Amino acid sequence: MPATHQPEDIEIHTYQVGFGDCFLLVFKYASCDRHVLIDFGSMKKPKGAGRNHMVKIAKQIKRDCKGSLDIVVATHRHKDHISGFATNKRGTGPGDIIASCKPKIVLQPWTENPNAETDAKTAEKEAVRAFTNSLNSMHSVASSAIDTAKLLRRTTNRVTTDQLNFIGQDNITNESAVVNLMTMGKNYYVNHGDKIPIANILPGVKLHILGPPSLKQSNTIRKQRHRDAEEFWHLQAASSQGIGSSNRDILFPGYETKKAPIQTRWFRNRMRNLQAEMMLSIVRILDGQMNNTSLILLFETENKSLLFPGDAQLENWQYALSRNENTDLLSQVDVYKVGHHGSLNATPKSLWKLFEKKSIKASPTRLKSLLSTLEGFHGHKESGTEVPRNKLVSSLKRNTDFATTQAYTTSELSRVVHLKA
Amino acid sequence: MSNYSTPTNRRLTVIAQDPGVRTAKGGVLMTRVNVPAETLLAGPRGHRVQVVDFDSSKNVFYKSGASRLDKDLYLDIDDGKVLESDPQFHAQNVYAIVSSTILNFEKALGRHVNWGFDYGTHQIKVAPHAFSEANAFYSRRDEGLLFGYFPSKNRKKKIFTCLSHDIVVHETTHALLDGLKRQYIRPSSADQAAFHEAYADIVALLSVFSSQDLVGHGLSSLRRDEDGTCSLKDVEQTIYDSFLSGLAEQMGTELLGLNRNALRRSIDLPPSPRYLKMAAYEEPHLRGEVLVAAVMQAFIHVWWRRLIGKSGIKTIFDHKLRPSVANKKVEVWRVIEEGATAAKHLLQLVIRALDYMPPVDICFGDFLSAVVTADSEACPDDSRYEYRKRLLQSFADYGIKPSSSNARVPGRWATPVGNFTYGHSHFEPMRWDREAVFRFIWENQTPLNLTKKALTTVESVKPVVRIAPDGFTLNEVVVEYFQSIALRADELQAMNVRKPKEMPAWQTVQLYGGSTLIFDEFGRLKFDIGNHINSPQQNEKLEALWARGAFKKEFSTERTFARLHREKSLRQSILTGEQW
Repeated sequence: MPATHQPEDIEIHTYQVGFGDCFLLVFKYASCDRHVLIDFGSMKKPKGAGRNHMVKIAKQIKRDCKGSLDIVVATHRHKDHISGFATNKRGTGPGDIIASCKPKIVLQPWTENPNAETDAKTAEKEAVRAFTNSLNSMHSVASSAIDTAKLLRRTTNRVTTDQLNFIGQDNITNESAVVNLMTMGKNYYVNHGDKIPIANILPGVKLHILGPPSLKQSNTIRKQRHRDAEEFWHLQAASSQGIGSSNRDILFPGYETKKAPIQTRWFRNRMRNLQAEMMLSIVRILDGQMNNTSLILLFETENKSLLFPGDAQLENWQYALSRNENTDLLSQVDVYKVGHHGSLNATPKSLWKLFEKKSIKASPTRLKSLLSTLEGFHGHKESGTEVPRNKLVSSLKRNTDFATTQAYTTSELSRVVHLKA
Repeated sequence: MSNYSTPTNRRLTVIAQDPGVRTAKGGVLMTRVNVPAETLLAGPRGHRVQVVDFDSSKNVFYKSGASRLDKDLYLDIDDGKVLESDPQFHAQNVYAIVSSTILNFEKALGRHVNWGFDYGTHQIKVAPHAFSEANAFYSRRDEGLLFGYFPSKNRKKKIFTCLSHDIVVHETTHALLDGLKRQYIRPSSADQAAFHEAYADIVALLSVFSSQDLVGHGLSSLRRDEDGTCSLKDVEQTIYDSFLSGLAEQMGTELLGLNRNALRRSIDLPPSPRYLKMAAYEEPHLRGEVLVAAVMQAFIHVWWRRLIGKSGIKTIFDHKLRPSVANKKVEVWRVIEEGATAAKHLLQLVIRALDYMPPVDICFGDFLSAVVTADSEACPDDSRYEYRKRLLQSFADYGIKPSSSNARVPGRWATPVGNFTYGHSHFEPMRWDREAVFRFIWENQTPLNLTKKALTTVESVKPVVRIAPDGFTLNEVVVEYFQSIALRADELQAMNVRKPKEMPAWQTVQLYGGSTLIFDEFGRLKFDIGNHINSPQQNEKLEALWARGAFKKEFSTERTFARLHREKSLRQSILTGEQW
């Protein structure tokens, strides 16, 4: 049935996936409903959830969208955003259920385009190739990070190994989910400013793609000369490859020996610890880089504007924030999906300052914020890196109508926010 | 053999810059450096430097040469392939460059220097193939210099950071500076954050330019006559227009993405006093580049002055030749020699300057005053080569003014004027005893402008031997003391320090101050160079620290340089103002 010109209402379903993201937007038209699923993944299930929790959620999504999805968005490749798209051989995985809702469009960042580098202009090709290589090498780095974490658990600082393990797990490749996303609908791989043809699917809704910037776009804010860009990404890739477990060739065949001269053992042990710390910091950089490939989407109807930035961190935001035309758009946001589960660096303060509808007083037009997170799982209070960050949460509570998955009871699978479109 | 005939130095062959810098015949440009003639064990392992060739990425050791360690086995070898595939050459290369850098510091300072390690050990550990990562750094906690390696762009070979002369000197300088000035890695002003990196770059570049082999190589495009001379006009054009840029183009071509080519970055910064006022230059790496550029400019000016100064040639402006002398001939060997000498002298000056630097909270102007003071101490008459004039001018071109406003010798630190009490001090122990010096400080709290509520500690007492301008040796003592006080943010006002606006009242703030005291050969205070707890720049520093997020617990000084260098090559810097 064709949709009428404007949606009348909007529903936002926030699913309880523990540490992860999963949102369903329902645009209600006079004649029919249209459904947009944004992310479906989890790093750690909520307390009390069973083994088939993700399947349960998938079934709930299918019921909520009445068996039909119009757009599926996978903001970026991290496990906590796409693990729910995983399929299995028997066709009973959560991803199989989503695929059965036959999404018309699958929207992903340009970095997921299997042909990214061939689409780039010649001058950029090398840089894009190097960049995507460095993203891809994250998988081998991730598995070697998990190995290292296991190996060093007894001898090295617990915090280091826990973090290595966490980031490793989040970045490990999720083959079936990636393939499922590639094949379940028509794929669009986009960057800042791209337009996709949704006029027929979501009439009266403008979809602004604010991030990620393409390499060329981000270079304009980096003020980095172009010849460096290629070198830069090459080194990123090289750095991470070095620590990948596949790299075992000896530098100087014939000179190697396993035997440590006694007078070198102290230093050797120090170097081993150092290696773990360095791996953590590289893995962190790559992890941040992956977060920064996250889509930043802004849905605009006649009266409402909804911002879904995935896990985008400052570097991703910088380009959008540097463009004047986005300032007005962002100032009018009505619903803000809190970036990166409420971490300290995914709600840039300059973005926060733009939001005009935040207010200490309750009102029907007050900014609404949605947070999908799980406390005590990532980061540490002592270092000010806890997720969600307390300081941010209290600011959200004070200035917005705040909803968090933390507040769900054990049996609740989702909650719904209703808006007049 | 009697002690009197024991040689003091040994010469070893090293790579002049990096394997990418080639001679006309295609060989790697090599040079020789001085190292102490010491007992060497396998490694090599000497009294200051121990090479440990452990590769933590692959978990293997590479065997070191065990015999003939005191011989220069690589003399006359310049085949890149041979050198790059021989780990024992790599070990010799790092051993020799690290040792000769230490030697340069000790010679310039007139004393032995200590490492900044917590356990006071004597040997720094050097790992030439530490890990597979495009990084190299000094780690105080691990007492070592760690050099990484990574695949070249076409993946056909490995790039070794341990074969880049400037990188090895750079890392060694971090270690030496940390030993001499332990407080400099503390979070402080933007200048201090930039200084460690800039200083390491400056020492690295001047060390590389001290080699006549490399200067000669940089001048290979110079048009020369059959008799080995060239016209002054050509020399002027070459050293002012293409010497640095030509070398920068060749240096570290393979390390391009590492962003460690200090020379290239400094020639990309034409003189302007505006940089340091720009917000972008608050970022430590960029800020440091301004200091490096100023010193490089001074180097060119001094070199040129050495060349024409001797021949009595007058110029029109600062360096422009009169047309009547433009075609005058000069021997190429002399151009080379003067270049290397200028670099050597400036290197000595910037090292000596460390003795005239405050122990905490430094700014670029302090460095300039320290350099000028070091030079005026060694060479009171500046009229021949005008080093000081040129240094002051070059720094001014980049907006750096000396911290001292001494009118008699511009830029030089002034002699303290307070009424000092010497009655409780004895000359001899004041040369080595921390307690004796502390007593002197205790009795002179007022003239030294100390904060009486703060904790005062004498960090070091170092007797030094210098050559006086009259050629005689001069015995001085360099003392560093340090003050610290911990306050709640709401107590700052009582100390005349402004609390940053958003800082909560309960925040604990540690304030530091301190001074370098130099006593002359009669035990009298000659210089008092310091930044005190109650000095006006404390406000500025606190604001900057707060803005940079230095009060967050995660901001640790551990393994600072690993992070610093990675941020530099990955061009990452955290904008803490945007975080929660």
